[in-house]
Amino acid sequence: MISEQGRILESLLSGAFICQISDEDGWRFLKTSGNSDKIEAQLNMLNRTLASAAEGEVYYAAYQTLGDNERKVLTGQFQDISSHLVPLVEWLLLVQQASGTDVPVTQGTALRLAEIQLTIEDTPAFAEQLAKISHYKLFGSTSVSVDGQIKQVFKRLTDLGYMLRPNQDKQIFIATGKVEYLYEVIKFIDETESLSLSEQADSAVQQGSLI
Amino acid sequence: MNQNLHQAGVKLLNALSRHADLLMQVYLSGTVDETKFSPKVIDSLVQMGILWRPDADADLRLKNVVRQLLEGSLHDERNRQIDANIGSALKGLKTLADHYKEALQHQRFTEANAHLSDLTEHVYALTESLENNVRVLFSRINNEFGYVSSIDAKIRENQLAQSQVSELLGELEMFQFDELSEIAASNRELRHLLVVTLQHSFSRVTQELSIVQARLLSLLGRFRELRGRTRLLKGFLLHMEHSPSFVPVNYCGLTQVPMLFNQAEAVIKPAAVDVTRVEHEQVLQQLVSAIKTLNRPQKAYQPERAAHQIHVEKQSEVEFAEDKLKKAVEGYFCQVIDTGERLTALDYYQQHQLEFDTEAWLYQVIGGYQGLTSEEQSYFAIEQSGELHPVYNGNFIIRDVELGLR
Repeated sequence: MISEQGRILESLLSGAFICQISDEDGWRFLKTSGNSDKIEAQLNMLNRTLASAAEGEVYYAAYQTLGDNERKVLTGQFQDISSHLVPLVEWLLLVQQASGTDVPVTQGTALRLAEIQLTIEDTPAFAEQLAKISHYKLFGSTSVSVDGQIKQVFKRLTDLGYMLRPNQDKQIFIATGKVEYLYEVIKFIDETESLSLSEQADSAVQQGSLI
Repeated sequence: MNQNLHQAGVKLLNALSRHADLLMQVYLSGTVDETKFSPKVIDSLVQMGILWRPDADADLRLKNVVRQLLEGSLHDERNRQIDANIGSALKGLKTLADHYKEALQHQRFTEANAHLSDLTEHVYALTESLENNVRVLFSRINNEFGYVSSIDAKIRENQLAQSQVSELLGELEMFQFDELSEIAASNRELRHLLVVTLQHSFSRVTQELSIVQARLLSLLGRFRELRGRTRLLKGFLLHMEHSPSFVPVNYCGLTQVPMLFNQAEAVIKPAAVDVTRVEHEQVLQQLVSAIKTLNRPQKAYQPERAAHQIHVEKQSEVEFAEDKLKKAVEGYFCQVIDTGERLTALDYYQQHQLEFDTEAWLYQVIGGYQGLTSEEQSYFAIEQSGELHPVYNGNFIIRDVELGLR
């Protein structure tokens, strides 16, 4: 039998994000300071270190020291994630609008595919937006129907680890901690490039209300 | 007087129950649809003070007391009103307590009793309204202001609730228990009402209000965070619209790579199977038995299945024998025609000393006859001689065939 520690080590080394949704036991294990030190020591042997993002909501393995090879890997990953940002953000906003609660998708948000699909089908503007989103390279849908597009989008999101489908018989998806990671990335870019995104949104809203 | 009051009350309550449907509709929609109900009913309700018209051309509405009754008993979350007027209630209590004490001093016991029951009523009403206020606040917190949809509205609702809490706390400061205990002095009833009951309710309400305040603050924080996220997302999209060519700097090229983008590659690949491990044997066997394969074994070269050249030879021998048989039958038919006499097939067989199998000969004769056209058949008469099979019914064994001209 593999120990809890071994199991977590394995999933960290296989590139998984451990959060409360995807692996609650593992997440709690890592939250305990003594345990994370043990894992850290084992990761260090493989030039890895335990990293966390979004105020300890997500854990993953990072490189301890960076050589040229590691930098190459990271650059590739960074290009991936920065090209994923626009489709993902557009999708998050679409879901937020379609679900009608004005609450952004965060870790633990349950999304019912059928409900979202119904709203999107009833609203041509949403359907148009979904068609645009689903044809991004990230989602790669070629379908012309809302049904095909939304299923493809959810499938890709599950593959990428942003969503989890706890019951294979039901079309209910739960957002994982990777969504929090995504927010963190946008926040980071916002701060380092001093884009002041929130202010831009605010001023746009105010201008809109003036018109 | 008392009897009259009783009757009037019963009448009012009856009216409420009789028109419950109408009243609930008004409660939910806010105004009366006067076309739907008879004017007589509406008039009577107005007279009883259940409905009222705030303005000459305004619609009829529920009286506030009725609305409050419904909100209170139905635990309706839309109820946002908080009655924080504790100061005047306390003054009322003090006045009543003075009345009571004066009546006692003058030994007017019936009057004193009436004052005491009035006082009791007021004290309980005050405690109930305090508890009700806290409950209203809690019910709004518990569903996170679910009755408004947008985050901004929730934040406003939260701020309203917070101001109500601080107002309530301010009013609660008006409870001065030293003064109250002075008023109660040594009277047991008064002490119980003014000091024990009020203090009990006071301490409970202040405790709960502090919880409410903490919850409201944490909710406000959460709402602000959610709003911040929405703004972040919208701002990002706006920025990308304004400058579509925007690409963040490759942070992985910096000397200090931020941890956020330092994400190690997966190193673990699935392990391979070890067939020599005895303890795995059962699992492996199960796995093997679960394997679904299409069994298409590659067979070795089979010379007998290889393609051959097929020589098709004329099977003259057999044809010849058949030919002979056919010719003999023709000869038999011709002899019958020539002689014009009846002749059995076996007799002909013996006369000409034919060499065929007799059974084959008889078959050929019958077959020859059947092979003729119906016109030719009509020239001949054919008769089979033989007997029924002794065991299997319905089978006729032909021993001989006799042929003649008609």
